[in-house]
This record gives sequence, structure tokens and C-alpha cells, in this order.
Amino acid sequence: MRDSMVFDRMTLAVAVILAALPVLLPSASLAGEILIFAMAALACNLLLGYGGLLSFGQGLFFGVGSYLSALAMIHGGAGLLSALLIAMAAGAAVATLVGAMSIRRTGIYFVMLTLAFSQMGYFLAYTLSDWTGGDNGLLDVPRPDLTLFGVTLVPLGNPYAFYTFIAVLFFIVFVGAKRLIGSPFGSTLVAIRENENRALAVGYDTRHFKLLAFTLSGMVTALAGALYGMLINFVPLSNIELSMSDNIVIMTIIGGTGSLLGPLLGAGAMVILGEVLSDIWPRWMLLLGVGLILIVMFLRGGLWGGVEALAARFGLQRAAKEERP
Amino acid sequence: MLNLYLFQILNGLGLGMIYFLIAVGLTIIFGLLNFVNFAHGAFFMLGAYLCYTLLQLTGAYWVALIAGPLIVAGFAWMVEKVLIRHCYHLPHTFHILITVGIALILQEGSILVWGPIGKSVPIPDMLQGVITFGKFAYPKYRLFLIMFSAVVGFVLWVLLERTRFGALVRAGSENPEMVSLLGADIYRLFSLTFALGVGLAGLAGVLSAPLRGAHPFMGPEVLGLAFVVVVIGGMGSFTGALVGGLIIGLVQSLMSTIWPQGASLMIYAAMAAVIFLRPYGLFGRA
Repeated sequence: MRDSMVFDRMTLAVAVILAALPVLLPSASLAGEILIFAMAALACNLLLGYGGLLSFGQGLFFGVGSYLSALAMIHGGAGLLSALLIAMAAGAAVATLVGAMSIRRTGIYFVMLTLAFSQMGYFLAYTLSDWTGGDNGLLDVPRPDLTLFGVTLVPLGNPYAFYTFIAVLFFIVFVGAKRLIGSPFGSTLVAIRENENRALAVGYDTRHFKLLAFTLSGMVTALAGALYGMLINFVPLSNIELSMSDNIVIMTIIGGTGSLLGPLLGAGAMVILGEVLSDIWPRWMLLLGVGLILIVMFLRGGLWGGVEALAARFGLQRAAKEERP
Repeated sequence: MLNLYLFQILNGLGLGMIYFLIAVGLTIIFGLLNFVNFAHGAFFMLGAYLCYTLLQLTGAYWVALIAGPLIVAGFAWMVEKVLIRHCYHLPHTFHILITVGIALILQEGSILVWGPIGKSVPIPDMLQGVITFGKFAYPKYRLFLIMFSAVVGFVLWVLLERTRFGALVRAGSENPEMVSLLGADIYRLFSLTFALGVGLAGLAGVLSAPLRGAHPFMGPEVLGLAFVVVVIGGMGSFTGALVGGLIIGLVQSLMSTIWPQGASLMIYAAMAAVIFLRPYGLFGRA
């Protein structure tokens, strides 16, 4: 039962990556951004890679997390943990609602519904500009210290301290996702992805499972959104735009769906490329478009699929297989 | 007061016909090719920009009106041959990914060509000013928009329902293998249909340009609206796209007098209400 152990090889690899990121990258905030988007991509992957549900509502959950945590801190005087909890609860609630409306349809209709609901959230944020700042974004988002019952445990003003906080949360989410996917719930999701009718026939209430996957995905995505607002001290309207959903889905697919390390790889590749290329050429997204086409044409397993294929070529099939969830 | 509502209803009809043209293209492509075009909004944007450029070059709106959609359709025909054709056998996820890639290239490419700030397109000289019916005055261009797109809609209906091409498209939507076995060149049909559907989006872009201008980031919003229309009307349905488009156009136009900031939001609220009551849309089949 090595798979169910907390400290197997994959988890250890993640721990090493988390420790190495801020050392290898020029800034801790860049490393933090990678982990935040990796968290969002991981949540997207739970739906897409395991449940076969391509959701364009992820940007909505991300934005809800950003806005509600920021508003709770600015207007409600919420501390760090309570702001994050509020974001997670709101993300879970919104995702459950969007999920319940969307999973009544399957296939492409499902995708279109999630996209339309996501746009609805965008226009809601745009309309409620008294609260969200509309086009200007929500300014002066605080980053409170980590306190428990009024006692300051860790001050998070320092970028490296905040990175460590994000990394710890990411690690918890990662281990949680790994256990979840190894659990009967995870296998049922995969069964639904492979053949929903058969899963139904065997007696699973597939609706129930899909909805729960949505709730969990929304919760984690909103957590990522809340952390992002705190990281950049700002909630731009683009946090809830369609392009945010696009980006999260793209990171997930580029990294490789149906694997746990894929999202980290996808988010890392896109955030770093964006950081490097946007300085050189503001229209770097054009290259991203070309990259997407190339991935569809030549690298359908995503980057993680490519890593696995490379490993197989160099005679490491066994190792590559073991890393599979 | 009554005139104001009549004015807004006519505006809504014009807007609705534009949404219809966008959505019917999306629906035709999906019906036959079983392919979701996430670049549909980007092709609409391309149409709007072409309208701007063609007007600059020739000064004649009718040139833009004819050449614009044809250029968009020709471009789509090429894209289908080079890229999209190789993806039909893949799951929807890859259809979406490749068309999102195309949309990004079009969006960023348009910024390279036309700059990051949008372009406004003048209303053609011939169609400037208002036309009056007794006490009621209405802008000529908006009236032209309603009538022209109604004619296009009718021609499209004839094409789909009364011609051999339309029969092939409808038969292919039911069973492409069978159509292919009966001797029709299904791949040619796929290319033509993709070009037709995208060309309609381009036409909608050209038509809306004098009212809304052209902007590099208009694609995603238009794509979202097209999805709303299709979700309300039911996918693969000509009537659904028409009724869905008009409903959305009217809701947006009427709401913009009552609650301007919330007009776009109300479109999505209307969609949520329809979906809640009828999960398969007004004209959709289970």
C-alpha cells in the first residue's frame, strides 16, 4: 500500500520542488504565483482529468475567492484564516450552484453552460462596481499576518514568509487531492469519466459525485483566488474574466490532465513563460496560441505526458509507471 | 414614452439579428462537424476590423459588406484545411484547445496589425441620418441592419432547407458516415460548412462595426453571447438560434433603458431562468 502513504516518492518530489522554487526563481512572489495557479489547475484537473468535466467556470470561482476574501478583510475586518475560510465557503457554494445547473447537461452543452455562468459572474462583478471597483479593480487588499485567537504566529509581510505559507497550503491541498483520488470517490470519478452510463448502471448516483467534485474544485480554486489577491495586494477585474478560466484550463491541459504533477508543470511553464516573454514582447500570447495548436497536434498528453514519454525512451518505463496515480 | 419603447424594441431586433447570425454559424458548424468553435468570437472581431480597413481603402460600405465576410470565410476555409481537419477524431477538449489557440493568435495578431486601442467605424454616408414615420424617427443604418440580416437569414434558410447543399448538411448532421458512403465528398462539405458558419460570424462583425466599432478584446464577450443564445435556443436548431438571438437582443436593449449598467448581466439572468425551467433550451431535443 505504498500509494496511500503520505510520503511516497511523488509527494517527496513535490516537497523538494516547493523548497527549491524560491531559490531557483528570481523572486518569491513569482514562485508564489506559480503555486497559486498550480493550486487552481489542480482543482481544475480534479474535474477535467479525473471526472472528465471541462469547466470554464474556474475563473468565476477564482474571482469569487479573490473578491470575497478581500471584501471580508477590508469591510469585515477579517483576519487571514477567516478570510481564507470565507473565500473557500463562498467558492464551494458558487461552484455547487453552477455545478447543479450545468451537470444536468453533458458534453459540450455542459462546457457552454459553465462558460456562460462564468460570464454572468464577470458581469455581476462589473455591475457591482461600488463593491468590486469595477474596471479599476479592488485596491489596497491587505495581507494580514497569520494569527490564531489574536496571537500573531507568523508575520507574512516578508515575501519569503508568504511564499512559505502558500507552499504549506499547496502541500496540504496536494496531499489531500492525492488521497482523494486514491479513494473510492476518485475511482468513481474516473469511472464516470470513462463511461457515465455504465457507472449509472452499476448503481452510482453519478450526479451526486460530479456535484461533490464541483464543490471541492470550487473551494480550492477560491482559496487560490484569495491567496492571489493577498499576494499582489489587488483584485483586478481580470481575476473573474473569461481569460482567467481560459488560463486555468490551458495550464491544466498543457501540464497534462489526469496526473497530479501536471498542474504544477503547466502552471510553472505558463507563469514563467509569461514573466519572461511579456518583458521581451508584449504580444507573447500569440506564441501561446501557437503552442496550444502544437500541443493538440503533437503532444496530446501535455508536458507531463512528454516527460513520461521521455522517461520511457530512456528505459525508465518502470519508474514512470510507478509515478502514475 | 411609447415611442421610446418602440425605438428600443427595434434596436433589440437589430441586435438580436446580429446575435442570430453569430449563433446560427456556431450551430451549423456544431451540427454537422460535431465541433465547437471557440474562435467564433475572434472571427467576429476579424470581420469588424476588416470592415474598418476595407472602408478605409475603398470608402464604399458595400465592398466591406461583401468582401469582409468572404475574406473571413476564405480564411476559415484555409484554417479548416490546415488545422481543424486533423482534430475531428479527437475529444471535444482538443477542439476547444485548438480553437482557443486560434482565437489567441487572432486577438494578438489584430493588436499587431490594428493596435491595442479599438477602432470606430463611421456609418456609411448613404445610411446616415434618420428615417421618419409620422412622429417616429429611426436611424437609417439600424433599419438597414434589421432588413439586411432578415434577408440573409431567409437566404440561409433557403440554402439549408431547399438546396442540395442544405440537404447534405442536414443529412450529415444526422449521420456523416452514411452521407459519405452514399458518395458525397464529406470533407469538402465539412470545409464549406465551416467556412459558411465562420463567414456568418464575420458578416455579423461587419454589420455591427458601424455601431460598436472594432476592438481586439471583443472576441470573448461575443463568444459568451453566442453560447447564451445557443443554450437558450437549443443547439443545432435554426429556429432556436433566431428566437434565442432575438430574446437576448430585446432583453439587452430594453434593460439598457431601465438599468444600463446591468443590461449585460440581465442577459445571463435570462439564460439562467430559461435553463432552470427548460434544461435543453426552448427548441432543444434531449
